[in-house]
Amino acid sequence: MNPQMALLWMIILPLGASPVAYMIGRLSYNRSKGLFGLARWVTLVTVMLTWIPLFFVGRAVVIDGPVSFKVGRIVMEMDGIGLLLSATVVLLGTLVTIFSLSYMKDEEGEEKYYALLPALCGMMIGLGCARDLFNLWVWFEGMAITSYLLVAFYRDQPGALEAGIKYLVQSAVGSVLVLFGISIIFLKAGTLDLVELREMASGFGPLGLAAGALFLAGFGVKAAMVPAHTWLPDAHSQAPSGISAMLSGVVIEAGLVAMLRALGVLSATSTAWGALLLMFGVLNMVVGNLMALRQTQVKRMLAYSSLAQVGYMLIGFGVSASYGLSNGAAGGFFHLFNHAMMKGLAFLAAGSLIYALYLSRGKHNPLMVEDLDGAAQRYPLTAFALSVALLALGGLPPLSGFMSKWQIFLAGAETRSTALLWLVIFAGLNSVLSLGYYAPLVNRMYRRQPSEAVKEGKPIAVSMALPMVAMLLFVVVLGFWPVWMSWLTAPAASSLLAGFGF
Amino acid sequence: MIFNLINVVVVVTVGLVGIAIYGMLVSRNLMKIVVGLQLAVKAAMLAFILSGRLNGKIDEAQSLALTVIVTDTVVAVVALALVVQVRRKFGTLDIKAISTLRR
Repeated sequence: MNPQMALLWMIILPLGASPVAYMIGRLSYNRSKGLFGLARWVTLVTVMLTWIPLFFVGRAVVIDGPVSFKVGRIVMEMDGIGLLLSATVVLLGTLVTIFSLSYMKDEEGEEKYYALLPALCGMMIGLGCARDLFNLWVWFEGMAITSYLLVAFYRDQPGALEAGIKYLVQSAVGSVLVLFGISIIFLKAGTLDLVELREMASGFGPLGLAAGALFLAGFGVKAAMVPAHTWLPDAHSQAPSGISAMLSGVVIEAGLVAMLRALGVLSATSTAWGALLLMFGVLNMVVGNLMALRQTQVKRMLAYSSLAQVGYMLIGFGVSASYGLSNGAAGGFFHLFNHAMMKGLAFLAAGSLIYALYLSRGKHNPLMVEDLDGAAQRYPLTAFALSVALLALGGLPPLSGFMSKWQIFLAGAETRSTALLWLVIFAGLNSVLSLGYYAPLVNRMYRRQPSEAVKEGKPIAVSMALPMVAMLLFVVVLGFWPVWMSWLTAPAASSLLAGFGF
Repeated sequence: MIFNLINVVVVVTVGLVGIAIYGMLVSRNLMKIVVGLQLAVKAAMLAFILSGRLNGKIDEAQSLALTVIVTDTVVAVVALALVVQVRRKFGTLDIKAISTLRR
């Protein structure tokens, strides 16, 4: 398969599967109960098939550099960043689909779930490939719309409705701000092509600064940068667990990627973007960690810890945007991938506990911290998976979370700037602080007597255990051999640096 | 000449954004918030047309604005669907009343 066609297939497959899965689900709904499950298999097969074009595109991108595809005047270009994002999306999408097979089984509106999940994946793959500011916005908006629907999936639950509305309003305001930024750039340059714009950016003046600020604020809502993060804990805790994993693992990171692409265009207008990213990184870490400390629901706590993890990524990207160090960007992208695995694993493990304790009895209770008491005795695999994920998120050495944080910290130290050295020390201390809420959970699972809820819990299905084992392997193996990811993070880092004009 | 077309459009665009943001901040009714959102998007479209007119690429600006209309409609549909569901579930559209999730 030639890489151009593969790129096209990679976007068409998931997007095309979406209406097919929906229609099959709808049509078979009235006929017989047995056929009803067909929608989930359509989605699973499609997501699996997406691996084939991903392989061909990935090989071409790593060996020969960016692959581009032209439709009329629209150019889709897969570079290192796009490849990293798509690989993460497809991997997490496959695992989440397998997990959902039993988690969402016979849920009302199951066919809608399986229609929206591949659409979300396809939109994010497209977002990674956009080479035009407006095109970037369209993919971004498409991704946002699918995720609104998925967050409000349990539409009979008051909490889910509230979270959906909150998310929709905040995110839609953010995308309007982006739109204003794009129109300012269009006014100044007359083109929206990212490559052409980069050369003109030095002449933008104050309007360029305004556009950058609008991008930072607008994409920042989706990337959950701190003053605009309030939708995140609600949305992550109310969505179905597989979707929480997708949201936290890739959707907020896709927002981050979109922001980096848009700001990279304006790198000639100002040199302050990197410093701003660093500032938001610090804010995210502090607020995320402090808020997570006082949560009593497991999924809300994990959501706040996502804020802190985005902070680390921002620091990595900020270092490379202001100093041109490829190590920072590589560390940031490595952390992006690791975060998708670690946080995905944590959400899936929490999800399977929710399923075992509540959902299989038809109850929609949130998973409280007390419910984890003694979970290791009845659910050894889930408890082990959750513990490993939490400790990796906290950055304990032999696990993958430590490796990516270490790479980011090293890049910070490499700059030889006193301020950044202090920042790295501060970030390290924040990691220690985060153990303050991760460690008690592990303690509860292994050292307490089982709670009432755990004693009465149902067993978890094999299709839930399978993705957890796969992610567990990623988290542990990448901790020992982090170099196995550098074929993916190094091209991404060099694309980012090229984007920022280094 | 202060009342030429360009100036009027600039004022209208900025005014629309102002009204939209003011409305969304002040109003407690969910429906009015959605209306505010729509106003803001309309202002953004106007901004596109304005910049197209100023740099002489009005055709491209119009095609961009058309795309915005499409995506914006989808957002509006989803938002209104959620509003209907909120009304059915809570019996009110007051955002203070539906806000139950703790920080």
